Amino acid sequence: MFPSKSLNDDRDLVDRARRGDREAFTQLIVQYQVPLYNMALRMVGRPDDAADIAQEAFLRAWEKIRTLREAPFKSWLFQIAANLCYDHFRRGRRYGVMPDEETHNVIGLGIATPDPQERAEANERHRLVRESIQALEHDMRIAIVLRDVNGMAYEEIASVLRVPLGTVKSRIARARAQVQERLQQHPELFPSREDAHAD
Amino acid sequence: MPTEPGKPTLEELSAFVDNELDPAEQARVAEHVAGCQECQARLDGLRQTAHAVRALPMETPPRRFTIPAQRRQAWRWAPVGWIGSAAVALLLIAVGIQHLPLPAGPAATSSSSGTISGGLGQGPTTLSHKAAAPVAAPAISSNDQLFNGQAATASASVATAVDPANRHRMIVGTDRASYSITAQMRVTIELQGSPSTSTNSGDQGLTLTLVRNGTGVALDPVGAISNNGTPVFGGTYDLGGLGLPGTGDYRLEATWMIPDGSGRVLQASIPVALN
Repeated sequence: MFPSKSLNDDRDLVDRARRGDREAFTQLIVQYQVPLYNMALRMVGRPDDAADIAQEAFLRAWEKIRTLREAPFKSWLFQIAANLCYDHFRRGRRYGVMPDEETHNVIGLGIATPDPQERAEANERHRLVRESIQALEHDMRIAIVLRDVNGMAYEEIASVLRVPLGTVKSRIARARAQVQERLQQHPELFPSREDAHAD
Repeated sequence: MPTEPGKPTLEELSAFVDNELDPAEQARVAEHVAGCQECQARLDGLRQTAHAVRALPMETPPRRFTIPAQRRQAWRWAPVGWIGSAAVALLLIAVGIQHLPLPAGPAATSSSSGTISGGLGQGPTTLSHKAAAPVAAPAISSNDQLFNGQAATASASVATAVDPANRHRMIVGTDRASYSITAQMRVTIELQGSPSTSTNSGDQGLTLTLVRNGTGVALDPVGAISNNGTPVFGGTYDLGGLGLPGTGDYRLEATWMIPDGSGRVLQASIPVALN
């Protein structure tokens, strides 16, 4: 469902960016801004903090891209952002605080939806999932975010987090189990069902 | 968490969901689960959980990400908010001013050379979604002629974004180039080559905003499938109900994060004059 390997399409842009081509790097920003921001958002919870982290990650990547050798740009960029997330937690910046407003940047605002009831239930499901992710310990949180939000393969996650493949597997599994436990407290929104198999 | 011999562990079941076991393990787990209700239930739970997380909508960043005109000499920690503001300021100085005023013609772009159109940091606009306001539901049905799969190309203003491999194309169109501030604006967005047939804009990774001078209103594009199978989004938007700050030169910006897990994003925008 999530082909996640960074494609070699980046290579030309990265080569140009390493030579100081700002336009090439801007194209890399365009490509990765949404997934990177969403990774940070699911990690730190607050849109402003997530945007700060994504911005800083791009800045650091731009400054350090000449040092990038064989590592895929995507993994390297996410590694920078992941480190910034951990810095954010270490500095106690609003750790664990959920955004005050309901996903104000989600597309869909500003217009009535075809089925308000269905939309309201979906919003509630999303809120519970976000809270469940936020409740995870950091190492598990980033593993499930990179897998299920960003669609990365285990090997790529291991590269981002610089941990063994088995650690990735374990963290994702434990994270899912803990999220599942919290979601099962709301059977009206997360019923056990057979038709969830959409892979 | 090993249980009894032969039973897959939690890690194995989770990795099975992701197809991340080697083929022999994958087959062993599949065979066991087929005959074990307990493991089947555990697997269902893990799958449901993964789906619930994956169903979270991808959100659009609240502002544009930029790089300064020159690299910083040495990095040191500073409040990230300050860094972001400084970067935006530097960018505005470097490249922003000459882009004002907005061009008169469709500016967002077709990229036959294989680059992704759009480009953050190339314009002065930063989005603020505080101005988002409810408007009337779009008068759209799946029978609307907008959704014949060729509607955007027949529109008055059209912008196209193409990915480097020319496998995906986003065509954005409006029925007119200028409107009265109280008129209705029809928008069509074709997502050619989309790997998804979902008519949910969130599933497609599609965002649509009307922006001017740093403020924007998010629009909800309603989806349908055209006769040729292309997902088409859009609607008729009541401009008078959007809470826009006034007449002037706006830009309709569409961003499509192609839902194939690659992280690739196509962007296109067209100028919209409101009188």
